[in-house]
Amino acid sequence: MEQFLDVSLFNSTLRMVTPILLAALGGAICSRVGLFNVGLEGLVLFGAFFAIVGNYITGNVWLAVAFAVLCVMLFSLIFAYLSIHLRANVIIVGISLNFLALGLTSFSLRAIFNVKGAYYDKNMQGLPAIDIPLIKDIPWLGDVLSGHSPLVYLAFLLIFVFQYFLFRTVSGFRLLAVGENPVAARSLGIKSKRIQYGAVLMCGVLCGLAGAQLSLGQVTMFTENMTAGRGFIALVATMLGQSNPLGVGASSLLFGFMDAVSIRLQGLSLPTHFTMMLPYVVTLVMMLFFKDKSYMQEARKANESSR
Amino acid sequence: MNSKLTQFAGALVQPIVAVLLALLIGALAIFLVGGSVMETYAEMWKGAFGSFYFVTNTLSRATPIILVGLGTALAFRAGFFNLGAEGQMILGGLCAAITALYVPGPGWYKLVLALISGIVAGGIWSAFAGWMDAKFRMNLLITTLLLNYIASLFAGYLVAYPLKDTTGSAAMAQTKMIDQSAWLPKLFQGMSLHAGFLIALAGAILLFLFMKYTVSGYETRMLGNNPLFAAYGGVQRGKLMFYSMLASGGFAGLAGAVEVLGTQYRYLDGSLSTPGYAWSGIMATLLAGSHPLGTAFAALLLAALQTGGMGVERNTEVPLEIASVIQATLILFVSAKLSYSFLKRRKARAQSGTIS
Repeated sequence: MEQFLDVSLFNSTLRMVTPILLAALGGAICSRVGLFNVGLEGLVLFGAFFAIVGNYITGNVWLAVAFAVLCVMLFSLIFAYLSIHLRANVIIVGISLNFLALGLTSFSLRAIFNVKGAYYDKNMQGLPAIDIPLIKDIPWLGDVLSGHSPLVYLAFLLIFVFQYFLFRTVSGFRLLAVGENPVAARSLGIKSKRIQYGAVLMCGVLCGLAGAQLSLGQVTMFTENMTAGRGFIALVATMLGQSNPLGVGASSLLFGFMDAVSIRLQGLSLPTHFTMMLPYVVTLVMMLFFKDKSYMQEARKANESSR
Repeated sequence: MNSKLTQFAGALVQPIVAVLLALLIGALAIFLVGGSVMETYAEMWKGAFGSFYFVTNTLSRATPIILVGLGTALAFRAGFFNLGAEGQMILGGLCAAITALYVPGPGWYKLVLALISGIVAGGIWSAFAGWMDAKFRMNLLITTLLLNYIASLFAGYLVAYPLKDTTGSAAMAQTKMIDQSAWLPKLFQGMSLHAGFLIALAGAILLFLFMKYTVSGYETRMLGNNPLFAAYGGVQRGKLMFYSMLASGGFAGLAGAVEVLGTQYRYLDGSLSTPGYAWSGIMATLLAGSHPLGTAFAALLLAALQTGGMGVERNTEVPLEIASVIQATLILFVSAKLSYSFLKRRKARAQSGTIS
């Protein structure tokens, strides 16, 4: 047991959790303004791909991350335009965005790099690992917390930033108001469309970072369908965390931990199916306790907001 | 009659425009990678419908997509986003395989029983999500997504450990081969098309008649169009949700069973989820606006794009993924279409002078 729960397990948990956490925070922001973003998976996949493309073009890791963020923002703009402006069904737009990401990245992988399946270049630099000065000297904790890519630290910092922003600032309250009741928010003179656009773009930034961590953080490569359901896991983490940044952080950690445990069990050639299943079962049980709004309320709200 | 005809034509204009736009975007993508647009599309057509062999190939690929599409169409019509087709399909396929392998009896008996068990397994899995929503108000969209993972991991465990085929040399996570007597018969000698296609067509027609001509079909549509009005009209949402999800999952389970009994002849881990049948089926539903016959047609179109993409891959420099690009843009344009009709309605309302 001691061998099992060693430093590297927790260390890899933090690394695994980062893409999920970033995307889940983005999903939380979106759902707080009343747009349930099913397209997280696609946006993260775009992020992972464009981070590699950016790295290939510029040769600089930081420019690559910026490039990824910028490109994903463009794609989240499609989501925003269709769902806010044209009032298309958000879920359908999200699903089609996932398809678009899968198709377009695989296609461009062949078109730009002329490879099938995966692109890898050993000269390409990934995100550097940074040690935190003081913490790294603490015996056990230092090995767990230190030595990650900057995006890992950023992700955990953002939990608290968003918690503060949503529940302690005026703009945060306005954002919540738009999600609670768009009609009432508009009657107060809040520009609800602008806030919704802002939230979706923020979600794009976060998904871009998540993708960059995925393709430049742990390994420096892109493989087809690299996200492999992580975006949907992030979506579930958003739900489980009740779109509350601290809750999202906690539920993402649970998913990351289970991921790490499963990989460890694989090493011991034990069946991993049930450990991998556990987060989903836990989410189901948790949903039983945190009940959703009733469909009648939803329907009434939908009727009101279409006026 | 005339107005009905124009209405029908009007409903067709939007998807056709969307298809043309998507093909245009596809042409742009082909042009950007330096391929010849005309040649690529010619190869795509040949790959999908070029010869009798390719036509049957396309039809057999369309079979599970049609069935999944019908299931989601039914749920969407009732206003439920059933995104769990993949899990329902996997369990349907798995149960069909197990039944065909371990139930004693003559071949046809095993075959029928396997199909039924597939329907039941998919239906129960889906109705479970419907029941949780009706009873505990757990969001259906999320539960169906979650149940996908649970089903796929559970099936993966079963075929990797207790039911694993240990007779063959390949160390694959799969069940034993089903006895030939319990296979779905092929429609033509040496072609991949099997009797499942006829089942899918029959399903499409039955669902169409059900939605159009029965009371429950009307209630289902009413619930989807306006839940408040349906409640006012005395439709019991919980009950209807349970039954429509049961039927919806049943279609998806049947899709898995048909694929296992007609093409794979065993349950191989990942063989039902990797080709993306479930998601293609959902795409077909979205494309056709949940109309049963339209869904079957859209499923055929998507299958043709996929098999056509393989033809493009074989004979030109343009990658296979061009098909997915076209598919995705197609769906994006179609989702924009939904809002287009919304805008039109609002304009009409503004013109008639009522403020609402």
